Amino acid sequence: MNHVIIGNSAAGVTAAETLRMLDDQAQITIISDEKEHAYSRCLLPDFLSGERDSKSLRIRDLNFYSQNRINTELGQKVVSVDHEQHQVVLEDGRRLQYDKLLVASGASPFIPPIPGLQTEDAFGLRTIDDANRILEAAKSSRNAVIVGGGFIGLEAAYALRSRGLDVTVVEMAPQILALQFDEKSAGILADDIRQAGVNLITGAGVKEIEGPAFPGKLRSAGKKVILSSGDSLQADLLIMAAGTSANVALVRDTGIKINRGIMVDSRMRTSLPDIFAAGDVVETLDVVSGSIGLTPIWPNAVVQGRYAAHNMAGNDKKYSGMIGLKNAVEFRAVPAIAMGASRGTEEEGYEVLTLDQPAYQLYKKLILRDNRLQGMILVGDIKQAGVLGALIRNKTDVSAYKNCLLQPSFSYADILRHSA
Amino acid sequence: MKEILVDFEKCNGCLMCVQACAAEHSLSKTIPGALAEGTPARIFLQHVKGSPVPIVCRHCEEAPCVDSCMSGAMKKDPVTGIVTNEGNDQECAGCWMCIMSCPYGVIIQDHRGKTAKALKCDRCQGKEPPACVASCPNNALFFMEPEEFSEIRRRQEAKKILVVS
Repeated sequence: MNHVIIGNSAAGVTAAETLRMLDDQAQITIISDEKEHAYSRCLLPDFLSGERDSKSLRIRDLNFYSQNRINTELGQKVVSVDHEQHQVVLEDGRRLQYDKLLVASGASPFIPPIPGLQTEDAFGLRTIDDANRILEAAKSSRNAVIVGGGFIGLEAAYALRSRGLDVTVVEMAPQILALQFDEKSAGILADDIRQAGVNLITGAGVKEIEGPAFPGKLRSAGKKVILSSGDSLQADLLIMAAGTSANVALVRDTGIKINRGIMVDSRMRTSLPDIFAAGDVVETLDVVSGSIGLTPIWPNAVVQGRYAAHNMAGNDKKYSGMIGLKNAVEFRAVPAIAMGASRGTEEEGYEVLTLDQPAYQLYKKLILRDNRLQGMILVGDIKQAGVLGALIRNKTDVSAYKNCLLQPSFSYADILRHSA
Repeated sequence: MKEILVDFEKCNGCLMCVQACAAEHSLSKTIPGALAEGTPARIFLQHVKGSPVPIVCRHCEEAPCVDSCMSGAMKKDPVTGIVTNEGNDQECAGCWMCIMSCPYGVIIQDHRGKTAKALKCDRCQGKEPPACVASCPNNALFFMEPEEFSEIRRRQEAKKILVVS
């Protein structure tokens, strides 16, 4: 069997090693447009801050490919897929034959259409190349402006701040981390980030980017970011962290079923025969909302990669969906986790349990429906996040120990004892 | 593969397993030493309605903590079955994704070092039996194949019925 995998990150790497485990004889090839050994994109902010170098970003040992006998085509862009011939077309013109193909091409930073924004002006933070370009630009920068107050934006802000830059994050929503956290928890995290000296502006969009006028150009002065509020910010360095879009271009003209991402069934099969997809590029089932959508987070990519590999190797392994929204974060001192329907409210018919102890920077919120946990926000104390997460994932009836869930003593033991 | 298994009925909550675990992972390898060093234990004793319940890592197949680890530090050894983020090429980033994923809640935050790290049972790096099992004076902890354990449990239940009748 000849397996070709497009993508060398969470989904692709997991698929490759699973395929090797399942089939000692299979031919496995990984293609990536990046030259690097498989590394963690999630740790790029640590690379920006200098806490990690390119070596410590690696997610597998140096001999990973040789040990697992995986052929690599690194630094090779896939131009298109010829599904009738079962071939992948590379940028240099070569065509690679496959029996089964996995598309794990990931996502790219979404660059919003802002007047005056030239793509070369603004950096995304998705690859080591991006990070290196930001570091290069940071050398001659004093002010950095980051558009987008999500995880990537805030972590990048924190990293650049630790390098001594004046950093401002601009978020259009009235709070940071608006997809995952409620107003109160976002407020605690915003305080924590401000403590580090990062300037946060919420409820303001970017109206325009203004380049330096002629004399400024000569001494390569920075750009000006004009906000919807009318204020303007000096930006020697501009980072776009306003979300991602799935990398579907390479398969678009095959007629494969695409919504915002590639559509797959519960075996990670696409609408075309022998083509599978996994990771940030696919839309899958969210077990909490019951809807299909992009869930571009690392753990889901890993699991999807493994399920794809099983089905590529001929095992029938059904992916039952995962919790689409789950994130853990710790900026400076306060750990926080949000999962599932974390922004559900009583008006929407949810039952909401909260524990709020601002003096300890402690805030917990559980969102239930019909005695089943559907979402949570934990700030300050995240010890039992996984236990609560399993209750969400399994849709467990928690009525027997509902009043214990927010207790500091709550643990897996409560579940064990009540189910015994 | 052998696992750490618990006979909940036999546990009286003496905390020997917790202390032995801390001692084993301390520099001094002694209980007072572990206390002085502030070494955290990796097995937990909870109480539910007055009954002690020891909770310990199961070293899952397809472990969610391994799947969620975005630094690659958390790995399951294919030979020993041990799941740990220590002693690997990759270094834990303290992102807490594993804590978020563990359905048993047995991974904790370790703030002792220069950077925060996730801390969990490493099954005493293969030492047999692990310190918690070796220290249990009540025969409540076992290190054996799950099948063997259920066989023992089955015989115990059978014995009970014999005694009653």
